[in-house]
Amino acid sequence: MAEIVLTAGVPHTPLLWRLLREPIPEDLQTVASNFDRFRELLAIARPDVIVFVASDHFRQLATSNMPAFMIGKAAEMRGTHPNEERAFGLPFVPVPGDPEAARLVLGHHELPDGFDFAYSDEPWLDHSFMVPLLYLTPQLDVPVVPVYTNTNAPPLPSARRFVELGRYLRTSLLGSSLRRRVAIIGTGHLAFELGGPRQFLGTSPDPEFDGLTLEWMAKGAVEEAIEACSFERLLSAGNLTFQFLNFLTCLAAAGARPATIAEATPCRFGHEPFFAWEEDEPIHDQQAHAGNRPP
Amino acid sequence: MSRYMINKLMLEIDRHDESVEAFKRNATAFLEAWEAAALSPNPPYPDGGSLTPDEREAFANWDFEKLYALGAHPYLLWHLVRAIFVPERLTVEELGDAFKAAVAKHDWPDFST
Repeated sequence: MAEIVLTAGVPHTPLLWRLLREPIPEDLQTVASNFDRFRELLAIARPDVIVFVASDHFRQLATSNMPAFMIGKAAEMRGTHPNEERAFGLPFVPVPGDPEAARLVLGHHELPDGFDFAYSDEPWLDHSFMVPLLYLTPQLDVPVVPVYTNTNAPPLPSARRFVELGRYLRTSLLGSSLRRRVAIIGTGHLAFELGGPRQFLGTSPDPEFDGLTLEWMAKGAVEEAIEACSFERLLSAGNLTFQFLNFLTCLAAAGARPATIAEATPCRFGHEPFFAWEEDEPIHDQQAHAGNRPP
Repeated sequence: MSRYMINKLMLEIDRHDESVEAFKRNATAFLEAWEAAALSPNPPYPDGGSLTPDEREAFANWDFEKLYALGAHPYLLWHLVRAIFVPERLTVEELGDAFKAAVAKHDWPDFST
């Protein structure tokens, strides 16, 4: 059976890629050291595969075809797009996939009950995958199952749906016969705005919202978070704050346990999120439903 | 309003260096060629594949305030504007300030797709 060895949430702000070089600017030093810390957590957890929950930024998915959730199931994937090489200086690199694990989550011949994933045999990973991967697994030597989410092109899945996605990932992995040590990593923003009147404030556009997120994660308060994360509330915290919903998937995937690390690291981009749900012992659930369906 | 086509055009300009450079060289010529190609794809695009006169004018003049007010997706708009203004016309800091000042009066127009 699969074991969940670590669940975590990290930032992916693409401008970090050019900034986190020596000498690292003072306001970003804690962001850099947190990436170091999470890289160590991941190294200790020794995952065979990372199930990676992230938002596509109109790079692979446009509104000609916009799924709510999509699984990438290729053995090798492309990392970053030409306009992200130009804008952010990210390298164009191959990233290994894990088709067997991807098919387990997606379904082999039938989609799982209750989740109608889209899928891709040509997953192309944008900065939301690549920035964290390049910091957490610099050799890009751990296979990845990308779970793309639509947090950018309304209509979006609801907060409850993101939680259900996390529960589904957990139950489908733990109940499977897949022999893998799995890390589930999500990425997104806390309060954040780009392309609107509150971008580049040098601080968070909504510190109150950021504080609430820490409480939800530290308490494992999943229902409280769902209740609070309406479209209107998220928009009022900044027009990219919808990406916070990926962290609700992580919280649910960790069994809605209190996070062992819940930090909002202040820097010029606002508060960068670092969440972790560490495991004393790898979790598996021999009683969970076998196969590729949720119980 | 053809918000779908606004977003599609922003995506297509920003996607490749060649299209960014062509748009920067002559936005009007770029738009004419793009709309001519978009008018008759098979199958046809929604809304006939064309921009409204207001939208066309906003693109031709690099008028990001107007595009924002028309409901252009903020993420796509910022990246397009950054690609065409920086570094020749403005630094990213100068552009950020000008952008914020211009769009502030419009709050958050509906950018649902």
